[in-house]
Amino acid sequence: MHDAITVEKLGIPAVGVMTTRFVSAADLMARVLGADGYRYVAIEHPISSADEEALDAEAKQALNEGLAILSG
Amino acid sequence: MSIEVLDPTYGGGANAFALAGRLASLEGKTVGIISNGKRGTRPFFASLEKYLKQAGAARVVWHTKANYSAPAEASITADVKNWDAAFVGIGD
Amino acid sequence: MELASERFLLDGIVAAQEFYHSRKWTDGLPVVPPTAEAVEKCLEWAMLPPDHLVGIEPVRARRITAEKLAINSVMAGCLPMHFPVVVTAFTAMLREPFLLHGATASTGGCAILIVVNGPIRQELGMDGTFNALGSSDRATTTIGRAVRLALYNLLDVRPGDVDRSTLGHPGKISYCLAEDEENSPWLPLAEERDIPQHASAVTVMSAGAPRQLMNEWTTEPEQILDTFCAEIKASMRHYSIYPGNYAIVVPPQLRTHFTNAGWSKADIRQYVFENAKIYRREWADCGKGAVVGSRGDTEYQALSEPDDLLVIAAGGPAGGFGAVIPPWFGPKSKACTVAIGACVDCEIQ
Repeated sequence: MHDAITVEKLGIPAVGVMTTRFVSAADLMARVLGADGYRYVAIEHPISSADEEALDAEAKQALNEGLAILSG
Repeated sequence: MSIEVLDPTYGGGANAFALAGRLASLEGKTVGIISNGKRGTRPFFASLEKYLKQAGAARVVWHTKANYSAPAEASITADVKNWDAAFVGIGD
Repeated sequence: MELASERFLLDGIVAAQEFYHSRKWTDGLPVVPPTAEAVEKCLEWAMLPPDHLVGIEPVRARRITAEKLAINSVMAGCLPMHFPVVVTAFTAMLREPFLLHGATASTGGCAILIVVNGPIRQELGMDGTFNALGSSDRATTTIGRAVRLALYNLLDVRPGDVDRSTLGHPGKISYCLAEDEENSPWLPLAEERDIPQHASAVTVMSAGAPRQLMNEWTTEPEQILDTFCAEIKASMRHYSIYPGNYAIVVPPQLRTHFTNAGWSKADIRQYVFENAKIYRREWADCGKGAVVGSRGDTEYQALSEPDDLLVIAAGGPAGGFGAVIPPWFGPKSKACTVAIGACVDCEIQ
């Protein structure tokens, strides 16, 4: 979340990718960093043990949701 | 003898700021990826790169942080100005 | 190292006292003026950058950084080697189940009980024997104070400000003790709470004042625990009836009897779980008859489960004195244990 906000502050639109388990912490962090309500992509947790097929599907989802976030 | 001392109180939260301008399409654009390098991110971002190019991105630049618990290092943020959009993750 | 905090140039140590007191940055006791050099030494010892995020207090969305904790630690009198314990205590306090804002703002007036386990106790000269619940040694006294100063200065937990405590208690100055592992037959508290053996760790609990008891007239574990249970039951009747984390402190003179009878901490927890309970109608005996109502036969247990009891081995070699430390308010705040230095990749909870 911190890095995504940093990129936004540098003037480049950023899509943060978080896992579902991190969502409440991510929302809090966004608020603390001055970006209350910041939109990002939430993919299934965990990723460390997910297989490549599952990660591929998550990546596709991230792209689609990311495009919506990028275009506002 | 004078001494210089520090303020122990809360430094204040970040002020609200305007988000970066939006991007209507990825066609011909440069997209940067900032990965925290944790387990699972490599295959995820490899797939993402594939889908970004399918969506029209001309170039995908990939950076992996040296320390996944710390903010992205200066060498990465220095490259951001060369991108049109970024994907950053994975927060878990 | 780049520190972000504002700096002030003062005329000296005495002037610094008035400067900090007048801004309500201290608890009324003198402070060690926090110079950049002293703060940097703490951060170097702990191997933390100044902007390392220890955690976020969620109610007020405040970021707690290593730099700010270091400043308050220096003020409290901590040496660099004490600082990692302060960081770990705060990490544990910022865990969601601890409910830091509620615990520190409440009229209930609890303090943060800090229990230290593991090799760090010897490294820091901590003493879990004489005066264990008072000022037993430099490390525990300054660490406990550092936590309180950080609450003042980073979260505005000052009396009448965020802190609405009616009475509070002296533990709000400093409330830190080391478990006397070397003289105890039992597992250390932290190891019982899933910290690996030989690791150093900090347990925090939202705690009322200690209630001292005495029983030098029996060698039976059950009878000794009956005295502890009676004190717990008194707290349930007189203060708050709801179940939560209770801590009991067991000194060597009483520990001997448990050792001789082969009782572990688990045995103690089970006994207290089964026996520390009262009926609602007992409120009528202590001036609270008005709220007994028709539910006089309702039974309340001090512990929801045996593991809610924190058994701490501490105290000087002589004296059959134990202590019961009740929770702030039932189950609202849960005791949390964190290993020192292990949190490289902790999620911010």
